[in-house]
Amino acid sequence: MARFIARSILSTITTMLLVSMALFLLLEVGSGDITVKILGVFSTPEQRASYRAQLGLNAPAWQRYVDWLIGNDWRAAKRVGYPLVTATNPQTDEKDWWADVDGQLTRWKLEDGHLQALERQADGSTTSHLVSGKWQTNAAGQEFFWGLDNKNNAVKWVRGEGSEVWVLTKAGLRKAGDGPQEYIPLRKGLLRGDPGKSLQYGRPVAVTLFPRVRNTAILAGVAFLFIMPLALFFGIIAGINDGKPLDRFISITSLGATATPEFVSGIFLILIFGIWLKALPAVSIFLSDDAIFKDPKLIALPILTLTAVELGYIIRMTRASMVEVMDSAYIRTAILKGMPYWRVVLRHAVRNALMAPITVIMLHVNWLIGGVVVVEVIFGFPGLGKYIYDAAIFGDFNAVEAAAMLTVTIAIATRLVGDLAYTFLNPRIRYS
Amino acid sequence: MEAMQSGLKLAAPPSRLRRMWKNISIIFDSRVGTIGMIMVLFWIVTALVSLFWTPYPPNATDFIQNTPPNIQNLLGTDQLGRDILSRLMQGTQVILLKTRLPWGKAILPGGVAIWGVLGSVTLGAVLGLNAGYRGGWTDQIIMQFLDALIAFPVIVLYLVVIAALGQGDLVVIVAITITGAPGVARLVRSLTLDIKTRDYIRAAETRAETIWYIMFKEILPNARGPLLVDSMLRVGYAIFAIGTLGFLGIGLPPPDPDWGNMVNEARRSIFANPLAVVWPSLAIASLVIGLNLFADGLREELSRYQK
Repeated sequence: MARFIARSILSTITTMLLVSMALFLLLEVGSGDITVKILGVFSTPEQRASYRAQLGLNAPAWQRYVDWLIGNDWRAAKRVGYPLVTATNPQTDEKDWWADVDGQLTRWKLEDGHLQALERQADGSTTSHLVSGKWQTNAAGQEFFWGLDNKNNAVKWVRGEGSEVWVLTKAGLRKAGDGPQEYIPLRKGLLRGDPGKSLQYGRPVAVTLFPRVRNTAILAGVAFLFIMPLALFFGIIAGINDGKPLDRFISITSLGATATPEFVSGIFLILIFGIWLKALPAVSIFLSDDAIFKDPKLIALPILTLTAVELGYIIRMTRASMVEVMDSAYIRTAILKGMPYWRVVLRHAVRNALMAPITVIMLHVNWLIGGVVVVEVIFGFPGLGKYIYDAAIFGDFNAVEAAAMLTVTIAIATRLVGDLAYTFLNPRIRYS
Repeated sequence: MEAMQSGLKLAAPPSRLRRMWKNISIIFDSRVGTIGMIMVLFWIVTALVSLFWTPYPPNATDFIQNTPPNIQNLLGTDQLGRDILSRLMQGTQVILLKTRLPWGKAILPGGVAIWGVLGSVTLGAVLGLNAGYRGGWTDQIIMQFLDALIAFPVIVLYLVVIAALGQGDLVVIVAITITGAPGVARLVRSLTLDIKTRDYIRAAETRAETIWYIMFKEILPNARGPLLVDSMLRVGYAIFAIGTLGFLGIGLPPPDPDWGNMVNEARRSIFANPLAVVWPSLAIASLVIGLNLFADGLREELSRYQK
């Protein structure tokens, strides 16, 4: 058993690595120039090139992959020469990078050719003063300095060659002198919980992703609570009435529900409950972050839609498994020896029949996530699915990668649990 | 003599036709399968008819917007005043009959759903045969690779592919191929593991046939029954996926109408004309259900024949 578990975990890790490589290759190497989307089609090639450098996209692909996966602060720290640490910015509540210069958190700024140190005070504010003697000289005789700028990049300034860079501000692109020659946008890496900055919003992906994941977890969780008992009930009823009109009715209805795409059932439900009956809100627009708790009605239709889509599939699984069990010799024996029919069904059949659907549901989480994406887009529900959708449309690869990795992790984890549960429940396959 | 010869010649084709008919007609033994086949045929015929005739040009905005069904427009008009019936008919083409290539106006016969499934069956078969027949390390590596692909939620994989490659008929085909291949490969692998123990494979190995000959000429033809049923289901999934992508606004590009996108556009004027949402939804659902029933019937009959 221990060997089996060890093997599962090892193969899971390999799978995750492969997935992350595939994602990275597809999105960062395969896709077009993201700066066109961020800066607009009227930006000049010069502006785009400058912005690409600021995003760290000039580095070779393997380097960016490693950075993305395990971070690059250790690499940057070697260049800067001081340990790099994070501290919370009191204004945004997000983490900022600082160099730890003998206990004093410091960043630098190059202004009119003079290097200034920005020192972080205990209350989060900064003081600045000129510094000198920091410049190093390279083989070509140029003076350069590796430091941290105020945008969380490790940068290399070259004295006298302050290049002109295009800085993206809220008002658009602004040309600035005294710019750095090289950038390393600091990140802790996916494995350390920092998948980088959203290219669309400019905020850390981890910060924006969290409330979305919570919303989706609530949506999927509540839907699950509705689906499971209903599906098992109807599946068992259909299974013990194999071939009778009741079974036909349940089977055909559930086939119809499965074959109807999520967006179709969603729109029909909006039509019925939102427009004709006016009983439920037709869209889930969240006015505040915790609207989901204040106004549970908002998620009524999304839950109903998810239920409609998933119910049919699980009913069919349960029914098939129930029919198989009811056909088996031990059930016939139990009935023949005169046990009450309901007792045979509940005690002997259901317990054996539930094993398959429960594990299948674990494997089905993939499918459920897909359904969640569509349902969230229909209702404008601010969840993980809508997040991936928006990010994919924009081409925001940092966000897509993080969200996709998250869904893959959820899918793989549930599958692993499903596999283990099945092995545990069914001794026949435990050691094979 | 001449009469006999021509008689012989005549005798040969009918027997072959009859054999084919006999193969096809097993589907009529299953009522579910027959219903499914009729539903699928209905849409194939609609697609063929739409090549030559639709009531009005599908992209002409000639009518009053958002009218309910009437004599002139049997299913009503959409938010731009286009005839819904014509658009619905034309919408079958991109799914079933033609793929628009990115080079000029070039068109590939066979719809996006068909090519997507062909792609996933081809890729899946190559991977599955190699994994199953060669075994060992090849098997391990291929299965690990497939596990990684299967780990993606399907829609997320579609979104990733489209985020990377942009929009277009070929991209949708690639997306369907990638998402479908792991399932096919697993099926083919398990069938291969079963078939490779048979005597005729031993015989072929003794004849020193090449490994590719054994895989594609000996094993694959003997796996065609379950593969056929699976492909049938996959066409259904593909149509489902095309509809979903169209609804999300990232599916098949205009100008050809796309059912999913029709739903998406009609949704915006759902108050004025709720029926405009209903028609394309019904079209997708009926075609997918038809394919499901057809595949179910086929599987039932095939397994009965094999017993």
